[in-house]
Amino acid sequence: MKPHQVDNSLLEAWVMFMILGMVMINFPFIHIFDGDMSLLGIPRLVLYFMYGWPASIAVIWLFVRHLEQEGQRQQQTDHKNNTATR
Amino acid sequence: MGSMTVISAEIIIIVSLCYFALIFFVAYYADRRRKAGNSLLSNPHIYTLSIAIYCTSWTFYGSVGKAATSGLDYLPIYLGPTLIAFGWWFLLRKMVRVSKEQNITSLADFLASRYDRSAILGAIVTLFAVIGITPYIALQLKAIAQTLDILFLPLKNLQGPTSGLIPYLPGQVDSALLVTLLLGLFGILFGARHLDSSERHEGLVVAVALESLVKLVAFIAVGIFVTYGLFNGFIDLFQQFYERFPDRRYLFAVGTAEVPYTKWFTLIVISMAAIMFLPRQFHIMVTENSNEEHIKKAMWRFPAYMFMINLFVLPIAMGGLLLNNGDTSQADYFVLTLPLGANQPWLALLVFIGGLSAAAGMVMVSSVTLATMILNHLVMPVILKLKLRAQNLSGILINIKRLGIIGVVLLGYFYFIVIGDSYALANIGLISFMAAAQFAPTMIGAIYWKRANKYAAIWSISLGFVIWVYTLLIPSFVRSGWIDSRLLDEGPFGIAQLKPLELFGLSGFDMYTHSLFWSLILNLGVYCMVSILTRQSEAEKTRATMFVDVFAIQEQPDEHLTRISKAPTIVEFIDLMSKFIGDKPAQTAISVFLADKEIDHRGSLNDQDIFSLKTFTERTLAGHVGAGSARIILENYLAARGSEMENIFDIFGSVTIDGAIRREHLSVLYDVSQLVSSGESFQTKLDRILELLAQQFKFDLCVIRFLEPKTRTLLVKSLVGESFNHFGKSERNLSTETYIGQAFLSNVTMVVNDCDELEKPASSAIIQAEGITCFAHLPIVLEGEPVGMLSAFSRSNKGLFTTEFIALLENIAGQIGIAWRNEQQIGRLLLVREQEREMQIAKEIQMALLPASLPALEEIQIAGLCVPAHQVGGDYYDFIIREDGRCDVVIADVSGHSIGSALIMAETRTFIHSRVHGIENPAAMLQALNDYFLKDLDRSDLFVTMFYLQYNLEHRQLIYSNAGHNRPLLWRHQLKQIEPLDAEGLIFGVHKEVNFEEKSTRLEPGDVLLLYTDGIIEAENSHQHLFGQERLEKMLSEGVASTPQELIDQILTQVRLFTGYRHFNDDVTLLAMKILK
Repeated sequence: MKPHQVDNSLLEAWVMFMILGMVMINFPFIHIFDGDMSLLGIPRLVLYFMYGWPASIAVIWLFVRHLEQEGQRQQQTDHKNNTATR
Repeated sequence: MGSMTVISAEIIIIVSLCYFALIFFVAYYADRRRKAGNSLLSNPHIYTLSIAIYCTSWTFYGSVGKAATSGLDYLPIYLGPTLIAFGWWFLLRKMVRVSKEQNITSLADFLASRYDRSAILGAIVTLFAVIGITPYIALQLKAIAQTLDILFLPLKNLQGPTSGLIPYLPGQVDSALLVTLLLGLFGILFGARHLDSSERHEGLVVAVALESLVKLVAFIAVGIFVTYGLFNGFIDLFQQFYERFPDRRYLFAVGTAEVPYTKWFTLIVISMAAIMFLPRQFHIMVTENSNEEHIKKAMWRFPAYMFMINLFVLPIAMGGLLLNNGDTSQADYFVLTLPLGANQPWLALLVFIGGLSAAAGMVMVSSVTLATMILNHLVMPVILKLKLRAQNLSGILINIKRLGIIGVVLLGYFYFIVIGDSYALANIGLISFMAAAQFAPTMIGAIYWKRANKYAAIWSISLGFVIWVYTLLIPSFVRSGWIDSRLLDEGPFGIAQLKPLELFGLSGFDMYTHSLFWSLILNLGVYCMVSILTRQSEAEKTRATMFVDVFAIQEQPDEHLTRISKAPTIVEFIDLMSKFIGDKPAQTAISVFLADKEIDHRGSLNDQDIFSLKTFTERTLAGHVGAGSARIILENYLAARGSEMENIFDIFGSVTIDGAIRREHLSVLYDVSQLVSSGESFQTKLDRILELLAQQFKFDLCVIRFLEPKTRTLLVKSLVGESFNHFGKSERNLSTETYIGQAFLSNVTMVVNDCDELEKPASSAIIQAEGITCFAHLPIVLEGEPVGMLSAFSRSNKGLFTTEFIALLENIAGQIGIAWRNEQQIGRLLLVREQEREMQIAKEIQMALLPASLPALEEIQIAGLCVPAHQVGGDYYDFIIREDGRCDVVIADVSGHSIGSALIMAETRTFIHSRVHGIENPAAMLQALNDYFLKDLDRSDLFVTMFYLQYNLEHRQLIYSNAGHNRPLLWRHQLKQIEPLDAEGLIFGVHKEVNFEEKSTRLEPGDVLLLYTDGIIEAENSHQHLFGQERLEKMLSEGVASTPQELIDQILTQVRLFTGYRHFNDDVTLLAMKILK
């Protein structure tokens, strides 16, 4: 099997999301949600993590799905090329 | 509270044992499935769940404790891994790929392997890991012991030391010890059955995955029970909590005194490092990975797992605080005490099993991982140093590993007993994480930065380790009361700058942030500085490339460039492997290796394949004993038998490609290598290379000379330079009087950068006459021996030959050497091919000399067959029908299988055919042949044996004579027995006067005569047993009913089966004759 070529745009997206993620779970960003304010009786910071965390997992899921499609596409092209050369 | 339900001790014990039995069964089943080639592990679910070994009992019970006491700081431990999981496709996949290709066994092996297979680095990492992780094992044992206490003795005050006593057991036997030994046993059964650590431990992994599932289910069950059973959902919990404890809102905030933002950040960073570089995580995620595609699924499933197991942490913590009136003393075990207090014993039991799972998985995998590291990086180097002379070490090694597992868990138990309730133990989770963080720079550099080297790795990890001990471990010991607290308050010897928690005056941070700052900044700093300031060896560069460019390169770059002199044979490599890994695994490994290799007729491999075999052996050994030890084993072994690695040639390796080399140099180097590998003739190559040099570097004269071995002179092979009359064109004798002679004889480059300062008078006159200002002679070296000389002269530039420039020219000289060798080899190859073609023709001619078709007669059936061992052979058989109803049959064997043998055989045939009508009987024919051959055979050292018979078809009379040939076998149909035909007579070519006896006998219908050459009975199998005459006689007596053709076919098949080889060692000839009427 041919090794997957790491797509540059994927790598860039990864770096961007990593930096974004690091920012979004750290000071000062989380300071926005800090403090006594609460929504529906639940502290805002807790809510932020309760919804933000699954959201970030969803982003990874989308990323992985893209990876898989990319992989399949590559396999298909490989297959086509192979059959063409035969 | 106080109204806790007690579950009877028997039930707890029985359920726990059943649970262990279940895990055992599952693990056993998984191992069986794997053996049957039907792996359970090849499944992303199992992979994801096994990664959740990250969540130990420290998180299973401790998260709630933290949430109830200090607040949200339990969260970063999971947020960090979520973040890093996003990058697994790049980072983790690379680690996995490298590890599979290099047969990496552990984290320590990974680092040692990358950094020049350094045994020291492996030992340091192992030591560090053992010190950092063993207390963590103690923490797991503590959790098991304490939860057992809670279940058995719920009314006991838990503030005191844990008793860990199981009712009905003698007082000295403590439950934690039992569990410890059980887990150790488990580790041995599923983690150390074989020595090969790079092989996957399916049973262990599946057990861990099952445990992960159980702990998740248990925790969520409690969460749902507390949130919706004891309270009315999340909002209700928060409302009640706000009403009861308005002053504890800080529990839901960050940036508080308990959880400052800096600590929050620190926890995220170290947990990112921990998920990647804790030895057990490395083992599960990298070593046990069966398919890179599983990483994709795990990237989002593992964070999802962590989210689920954390969802109910806050509700349980709030519920616990509400039901305990804000008392946090038992907060660490709210998960267990809440269901107990609410009269839910079965739920509590489920929680206990969940906690047990969390602890057991961690202990099992950590002990196996640490034992592997201890064996490969601490014990193996010692064993190798002692040079133990045991025949087979594999048995000893596997037992050391098993002992290591028990040792590690017992060490953990010992920790637990000694420091069970201390501050140090409670915080060891984070302290361990910090230890793992110290591997981060070296690990990441290992796969992304080629320049990073061994010294940098050793120094940075050692320094990180020292800072870790000083800023984390020692303060935690102080807080446990084992060290005088003045150390923290005043610093060692009263030096305030060295206070462990305020190193160099850095104050105002929590101890983790403080430690992370100093350890990582120094660790990283040293890593970068040392890497930049020191140089790598060539071997280390190769290793670095294999790691960093793992996705780019398919083959090891040095395989084509190195050969082993006096190389060991395949068998010797197998013996070496057997010694360390056992016979069977060694045989299996070698058969995999040899599957696609070509073995020549001597049973050996070509140079390149032998080198690959050496690399393969090393890699296989590395899978069992680690890369560092494997290297030492191979090096010692090769050194002991006098084998050496030789550089054939490395096109770019010997020139340091850095800023000092100019671009044009590189392009010349490239052009030369292109020329060398081009299809041009040798002469053209040389001419073009010199033209290129002269043109690019403005030389006035360039010459290539090669050694003429007979006259010991250097003959000009190519020359470029217009304006010289005789200089350079002449041959050169080898003497140290001249620069060129000196260069050749001492095999060193001679450079004169200023011809005003010549030291050799013999050269100076002509050089100055030609107006040369500087020159260089570079030996063209092949495998250490000079074969020629590249010379360059300049009239203009003094000081032209700088060190870098000389390196470049030496490289070019080396490439010319390659071209020369190729030329020699091509010449030899052409010669061999020509010879082969001629041999083929000879073979065809020879085969045509044997009877093409069998005589079709009514009286007899006859069949013959000849299989030469090589292309031509010396065996011969023939039938000649005389007009008077007599039939001559002859079989002969000329010694050897050379062309000479074939010529004698042809001569024999010619003689017989031309004289058969003049010589009437066998004895006379043999006599004539002996006279004829006497001179020829004497000169050629060959000899001939022959059996000659004549059969009268009408009278069934057989007369025969023998010249030292194997006695033919005659099957007497009436007697049903075999009788050898023998007659006195000597082989041809020995004596002039030989009396060939002639005998006669009468044959009857059904009799079978079998003639053969010694190739049949002397056919040898791999145990050096011969096929022998007895077997042949048996075959004859069993096959007399068949036709002669069938008979000889059967015999040939049996001989082939017996030897097992495709080719016979000797020519094989068979001739069978059956009397019909």
